[in-house]
Amino acid sequence: MNGPPLTSAADPVSGLDRRRRIAARTRLDFWFDLVLLVGYTLAYSYGFTGIAIHEWLGIGLGLAMLLHLTLHWDWVIRTTRRLLDPRAHDKVIWLVNLALLFGMTLCVASGILISRVALPYLGIYPLAGPFWERLHVVTAEVTLGLVPVHLALRWRWLIRVGRRLLTWRSAGRER
Amino acid sequence: MADPGRPAAADVAFGGAGAVKFLRHLGAVTLVVAVVVVIGLAWNHFGSSTLVGGQQASFNKQASVSGRPPGVAVLRPGAKGAGPHGPRVRVIIRNGPMDLGLGSMFEPVNLAVLRHTVVIEAVVIAIVVMIDVSRRLWRQERRRAREFADYRPDDGEPDP
Repeated sequence: MNGPPLTSAADPVSGLDRRRRIAARTRLDFWFDLVLLVGYTLAYSYGFTGIAIHEWLGIGLGLAMLLHLTLHWDWVIRTTRRLLDPRAHDKVIWLVNLALLFGMTLCVASGILISRVALPYLGIYPLAGPFWERLHVVTAEVTLGLVPVHLALRWRWLIRVGRRLLTWRSAGRER
Repeated sequence: MADPGRPAAADVAFGGAGAVKFLRHLGAVTLVVAVVVVIGLAWNHFGSSTLVGGQQASFNKQASVSGRPPGVAVLRPGAKGAGPHGPRVRVIIRNGPMDLGLGSMFEPVNLAVLRHTVVIEAVVIAIVVMIDVSRRLWRQERRRAREFADYRPDDGEPDP
């Protein structure tokens, strides 16, 4: 995470460095989003993974969601400020993301509260109840609908970056 | 490669200032997430019947889907785990020392569950992409139609 500080924009070396960093950040976003999608798909497929992986993966997804939101916090602030502007883009995405924030957070929190393997393994016996169990199921179903929408609303970016990454790979292999 | 929804170039600068900015954002995100959790807790406290009603949650039923023996069931008196609907007994599954139960993932019968999730996601993605593409095409058509309506053949000619 630590790197050299930014230098003057007029310096061609720093311009190249800046472009490299943007490319690296784009790659990070792309692969991290992909890992989140795979992780969420596995975590939702409770019958496939079994309870232990489901719970540990869910906790991991909670932390990954914090990181994902942190990496895109500038977008959140920027879009929230422009919400009242009638010409503003991304209003639908903003709403979907807000719903996803609520859904995912409550899903992970309720999952932690009804944990039967992960937290007891750590010696923590969380409070539970039918409310949290029901909330966990409902929010999981809601997020299953919202996660693909969240992804699909950026399909052009995903295809563009995916294609470029594949080009980089094949170009690198040819060299 | 830049996208309006993606971070600006300055975001990728991780120097000393970048690290401070990252921590500041992480703090803000943690705060927002904490607020959502508090809303959940308040919902449980003040209006849990709106979600649960009188029925028992179906989550316990799902526990048997994995088809694995649940290990040693530890029954705890409901005093600590009592929910808003009175005392109850919780079943805590212990799989011994860190048994992730990876075996269930390799049982073909359980693959159907994963396939089901993937199909739902793929269908939703396909629907959203189709809606987005048709919306863009419709916008393009409308813009073209407006340009065509605004077009005057004598626009380029000098005034007499």
